[in-house]
Amino acid sequence: MINILEVILVLILLTVLLSLGSTRLMALVRIMVLQGVLVSLIPLFLKSHEILTFGSVVFYLAMVIIKGILIPALLYRAVKHVSIQREIEPFVGYHASIVAGLAVLLAAVFMANSLKLTLPEGRELILVCAVTTMASGFFLMLARKKAITQVIGYLMLENGIYLIGNALTQHHHNLYIVEFGVLLDLLVAVMVMGIILNNINHAFDDVDTTLLGQLKD
Amino acid sequence: MISFLSLVLALLAAPLYPGIILKVKAFFAGKKGPPLLIKYYTLLKLLQKGSVYSTSSSFVFTLGPVVSFAAAIFPLCFFPFAGSASLVSFYGDVVLLFYIMGIGRFFTVVAALDTASPFEGMGAAREVFFSTLAELAIFAILILFYRLTGSLSLNDYFHGENIITLAGVSGALIVLVIVALFMVLLTENSRVPVDDPATHLELTMIHEVMILDHSGPDLALIELGAFYKLFFYAAFIIQLIFPFTAPFSILNMLLFFILMALVYVAVGVIESIMARFKMDLVPKFILTSFALVFFAVILTMGVLQ
Repeated sequence: MINILEVILVLILLTVLLSLGSTRLMALVRIMVLQGVLVSLIPLFLKSHEILTFGSVVFYLAMVIIKGILIPALLYRAVKHVSIQREIEPFVGYHASIVAGLAVLLAAVFMANSLKLTLPEGRELILVCAVTTMASGFFLMLARKKAITQVIGYLMLENGIYLIGNALTQHHHNLYIVEFGVLLDLLVAVMVMGIILNNINHAFDDVDTTLLGQLKD
Repeated sequence: MISFLSLVLALLAAPLYPGIILKVKAFFAGKKGPPLLIKYYTLLKLLQKGSVYSTSSSFVFTLGPVVSFAAAIFPLCFFPFAGSASLVSFYGDVVLLFYIMGIGRFFTVVAALDTASPFEGMGAAREVFFSTLAELAIFAILILFYRLTGSLSLNDYFHGENIITLAGVSGALIVLVIVALFMVLLTENSRVPVDDPATHLELTMIHEVMILDHSGPDLALIELGAFYKLFFYAAFIIQLIFPFTAPFSILNMLLFFILMALVYVAVGVIESIMARFKMDLVPKFILTSFALVFFAVILTMGVLQ
């Protein structure tokens, strides 16, 4: 019997690795779609969660719509609008990024082993996966120059936080209300990013955030 | 007996599958495409011709195709097809097997260098560089399999009680291995996005440029060897995806050959929808496959014991 939860978690790790190595922004947006949907599917496969209340069904649907359709659509528009295709000259190169991803995973496994949290049955992998996703999101924000990749890093960070919430909680209602608030914040953030990106593009003919450091009249 | 039979079947069927790739590509291009048996015809045609040898080449040049062909057949003897036991098997055969494939590559490269053509030297350099990186991924897979089964033999991986499959205990990790192995398959067999087997410019070739000077039966051996190599990797992936449990049956074998077609269709689809990478992006592609398997290895250390 295939353990679906583990397969989803491993696929999330796959998307994390691919996002660290992808040079094209469009590919990155597609990877984020996959990751968003996978992450929002996780609670359905947790053993101790009862899932078939009306509220939770609405919540899962909203999660998938926001993470899988709404946010990617905004990102897609932003990428199209500023007509940039790839990240040129990142702060940290792509090979180094992939190796950093490996190091992050190693650290995450070490952390999950030595924290010795009393997690519910079969959730150790979620914790590893969550820490990896979070740290890689951080890394992506630090290592890339374009504003849009930094926002994608932020999205990954949020996915990681959501996974941690999933790993730690037993009763899900409170978590999901908080999580929903965060999700709305995120949505607004991505919208604002779209507007700012547009303005940066107007002012500098490029969306490189390092240009913002050079202030002059 | 059954192992021998399945091996012979596999050897006979291997040239059929590249025809499937061509058919899929033709379908995407809206063409009719060559007949499914095209590769058999090509082999037959090549075998009827004579070979031409340049006066500047030495015995190394004639040795190349023979050794690389032998090295391509060799791994198939160790492979347990569709739940039958493998023909030959001993502890540690996987390591030997990948080294033998390395020897085959070495002789192809040496034969290419022997022609003293600058193009072939360039292709040889690329081939060696990329397959060195791919070896990293392969041996990471072997490390993972060793951790999962405690064995170093193909027969133990795919035949018997504790077979490695997607549906097994740590099936989640096998997802990563399948993706990585598919990337290695594309690299090792010079398919798009790493190399374009249909390209017509020597400067852009990797594998094809090394065999430009071979002709007739020599070329047939090289082609056949390439089919067997592709067949080996595809069979590896299929055994991971679908658990063929013993005892061996005709139905299993049939299912195996049908599933094999899926891998080739996947290769064909990728070749149709993707352009090949710039040369400097190829190492990243291969490194990603290594990182995927290494992810899996790390996970066996901590969580999924």
